[in-house]
Amino acid sequence: MTTLSAAEIRGRRQWPLPKLADPTAPLLEVRDLKTHFRLERGWVRAVDGVSFSLADGEALGLAGESGCGKTTTALSLVRLLPSNGRIRGGSVELFGIDLVPKSERAMLRYRWREISIVFQGAMNALNPVTRVADQIAEPIRQRLGQSDKTSKRRAAELLDLVGIPRKRLGAYPHELSGGMRQRAMIAMALACDPAIVIGDEPTTALDVMVQAQILLLLEQLRRDLGLSLILITHDLSVIAETCDRVLVMYAGRVAEEGPVDRVFREPRHPYTQKLLGAFPNIHADRRTLEVIPGQPPDLVDPPVGCRFAARCPFVMPVCTEVDPPEVRLEDGVRVACHLFPPSGDAA
Amino acid sequence: MTAPTLPGPAALSLQPVSRQRFGFLRELLRRPSGLFGVIILAIFTLLALVPDLLVGPLQTAVTATGPRLGPPSIEFPLGTDELGRSILNLTVHATRISMVIGLLATFITVAIGAVLGIVSGYVGGRFDALLMRIADFFLVLPTFVLAIILTAIIRDAIGTGSREIGGIRLSLLVIVVVIGITSWSSAARIIRSQTLSLKERAFVDRARVIGASSSHIMRRHILPNVVNLIVANAVLTFAGAILTETTLSFVGLGDPFQPSWGQLLEAARSTGAPGLGAWWYFVPAGASVVLVVFAFTLLGNALDDILNPKLAGRR
Amino acid sequence: MSLRYLARRLMTAAITVFLIVVLNFVLFRMMPGSPERILLGRTPNVSGEVIQATRERWGLDKPLFPDQFVAYLASTVQGDLGFSFGGGSRGRPVTDVLLQRLGPTLLLFGLGEVLAIILGLALGAYSGWRRGGILDHVGNGLSLVLYSTPYFLLGMGLLIVFATGLGWFPTFGISTVGQSYAGPLDQLGDMAWHLALPLATVALGLVGQYSILMRSSIVETLSEDYVTTARAKGLTEGRVLRSHALPNALLPTVTLIAINLGYVVAGAITVEVVFNWPGLGTLTVNALSSRDYPVLQGVFLLLSVGVVLANLIADLMYGFLDPRVRT
Repeated sequence: MTTLSAAEIRGRRQWPLPKLADPTAPLLEVRDLKTHFRLERGWVRAVDGVSFSLADGEALGLAGESGCGKTTTALSLVRLLPSNGRIRGGSVELFGIDLVPKSERAMLRYRWREISIVFQGAMNALNPVTRVADQIAEPIRQRLGQSDKTSKRRAAELLDLVGIPRKRLGAYPHELSGGMRQRAMIAMALACDPAIVIGDEPTTALDVMVQAQILLLLEQLRRDLGLSLILITHDLSVIAETCDRVLVMYAGRVAEEGPVDRVFREPRHPYTQKLLGAFPNIHADRRTLEVIPGQPPDLVDPPVGCRFAARCPFVMPVCTEVDPPEVRLEDGVRVACHLFPPSGDAA
Repeated sequence: MTAPTLPGPAALSLQPVSRQRFGFLRELLRRPSGLFGVIILAIFTLLALVPDLLVGPLQTAVTATGPRLGPPSIEFPLGTDELGRSILNLTVHATRISMVIGLLATFITVAIGAVLGIVSGYVGGRFDALLMRIADFFLVLPTFVLAIILTAIIRDAIGTGSREIGGIRLSLLVIVVVIGITSWSSAARIIRSQTLSLKERAFVDRARVIGASSSHIMRRHILPNVVNLIVANAVLTFAGAILTETTLSFVGLGDPFQPSWGQLLEAARSTGAPGLGAWWYFVPAGASVVLVVFAFTLLGNALDDILNPKLAGRR
Repeated sequence: MSLRYLARRLMTAAITVFLIVVLNFVLFRMMPGSPERILLGRTPNVSGEVIQATRERWGLDKPLFPDQFVAYLASTVQGDLGFSFGGGSRGRPVTDVLLQRLGPTLLLFGLGEVLAIILGLALGAYSGWRRGGILDHVGNGLSLVLYSTPYFLLGMGLLIVFATGLGWFPTFGISTVGQSYAGPLDQLGDMAWHLALPLATVALGLVGQYSILMRSSIVETLSEDYVTTARAKGLTEGRVLRSHALPNALLPTVTLIAINLGYVVAGAITVEVVFNWPGLGTLTVNALSSRDYPVLQGVFLLLSVGVVLANLIADLMYGFLDPRVRT
């Protein structure tokens, strides 16, 4: 895959980059992100030192069991956290601008215009008492300062783009099917022509046929608009079909990360292997996470060493003593497991 | 994820209720609102239990010794009423009457609500639909006016006179019953919806499969699981019952021979205490009502939070 | 709004009113003791003629059903609710007595409700939005105290402070006794002066409940997914609240306020007693003390129908506010 610089992105964007943007920096660079939640009994280390990058036009899949921190990671990018959530370390650089130290007010500038989110539209992510078209037009008017007329027109175009018939323009969310609502949600995410679109389980809760249609639409939009995509899902087959790279998380940390075909063909981390059910050919059949015996550790007081150790079939004495370092292997796969020591010799 | 452990036969009668029955007390006392509620409850319970020890027997027009409508003094810390009786004496004795009426009315309200709620939810079908229609009807109705009329009619019809049952005058017992039959509907609705969700749970199915009768299931399986809800609801109902009794007494349905807080307030108003500036006549009884209702509302909300974790976080 | 929704609501309201009429009938005929005695209450010195007239009028010597019931239904529909037996209004048609008292009550409670709804919703929305803030704690505590205070007690408190103590407002009535007015404006001013305290009492009494309702509704709404969506859009907090949280939070509040009305209005009639306001509340208490059952029956019917109507209006408003019930 080719990596476009921010300068090249500028040519395609309808809206100018933020003033402080570094034209040579990568699109998104997350380093050692730590997002914790305050509870009465202490801080829950939901995301505890996660690093990754996203190149322009790339699609990255975030995978892992529920509660592993994948959604928190994505929402931390625009700091859309519950009131007890806090980013307690690391950096999130968009065009070289670190978003972590930004004030809440300054953060508004980056939400939706630079990073938008496709929530589960089939559920309750659309305001039930407002017309869908108005909800799509809202950020165009509010955030881009467009006139009422222009934003309505653009909303109509966007609905066209995601395949919602013109005559449904005045519809309320409850008048649309689950698939239609998800399409509308996607149209809404595209409203400000953002640099990055995050899909938070965009196909969950839809039936299989509709899921396929939505995935097809996302593929199409990616191709046509050159979207940069972060896709959160527990459905590995969705990542296999849609993404370039995959990041597997376990208990708030990166277990394994790399190109989809490498990771799915030859999973290195025992957790990834478990996730994939030890079947190398993921493209052949659709599967969701199979149940792995045992439970993820308590993230208020995580154990020393590898967090997967308690459930790992290959556990060694070192695993419960030392945190496994993240190692970049020759084929571009990054893995954090003592089976792959930093020397580079894969066991 | 662990595989669910299958319950043995003993678990069939024991149910998931066993979640630390008494742990919640500590939990309750840890919250400021819960602690406040418990303290107020303790104080007023003490007043209600031994009024004679604290302030002597209830004063009457005959035994009154003070000046008419005298302001607070050393001899009469809360002043006197228009007959020269000590307001402190009257208010402490009224505590007993108000609390007892509140308690009995709560018991009737919650008992009706629980029975109708459980049966309606469990039996379902037309019976349920009809009962809930009636509950809705009562919810919309100006129940207070209904209560006024019912109290008056029942008293006229049975001729209460000066009869007593268990030391409580019949006229006050009529109020108790009337509060019960006009305020059961919200308790019934809440308990019904909990019953509906319990009905779908596995342990009820198991009981049904092994041939338990409906009444057995309702008593032994549903009831223990809605007890928490009933307790929290009862505490809130008590607050409401005190308010209703106070208001009914205020419009003239109290009993001067067994004065409640509401009866004292009515006496204060008809004497013209507010117009005469005699604040001491109604402030003690009024403050008692507000304090008790406030404390019980806080307590009920705290209990609701603790006993029904589903609702936690909403407040 | 769909015709079916409208029809269903109208139907429910009609059935409720019918049930109220039936309840009224049952209350006074099926109680133990002779119906004459209950219908005439404990009114002293009732002449034999009056008893005879009552008996004939309601057909008390005929069977309960259908004769008595049909007679009762027919006269109720025609607005004939019988005659008052009470002190001041003895012998006058109940309907006349009620209508005469309706105006002052509507004025007091109409204004009080409007004030309380505006203040309560604003206060509740703000404290729910700033959950955990100082105003939330203070407002929440104050709301609960107001909720715990019987309306009449609040009235007595305001009366002793602002009328007896400070002398800013009159202590009773709707107008100054024996006053001659320079003009209609003068008269209106006098009425407003008399209205101030009872109005403040009603509004304060209700504000706590409405604020509690709105607060919990806003708190619940703020945790909805669509509010997260609105925040993700980079909208300011104010706009998230105004265009996403509030319109949704209002929905359950409208219904709850309407349902509460039956409880609230009836309890709040006691305010009239404190201030001697010549409305349905004082009428009720006077009728009660003279056991003027026809009037009590009439008040119950009137208030019930009023509450049912208010609920109907709330339902229609709901249909207007929420597109989901329109179709």
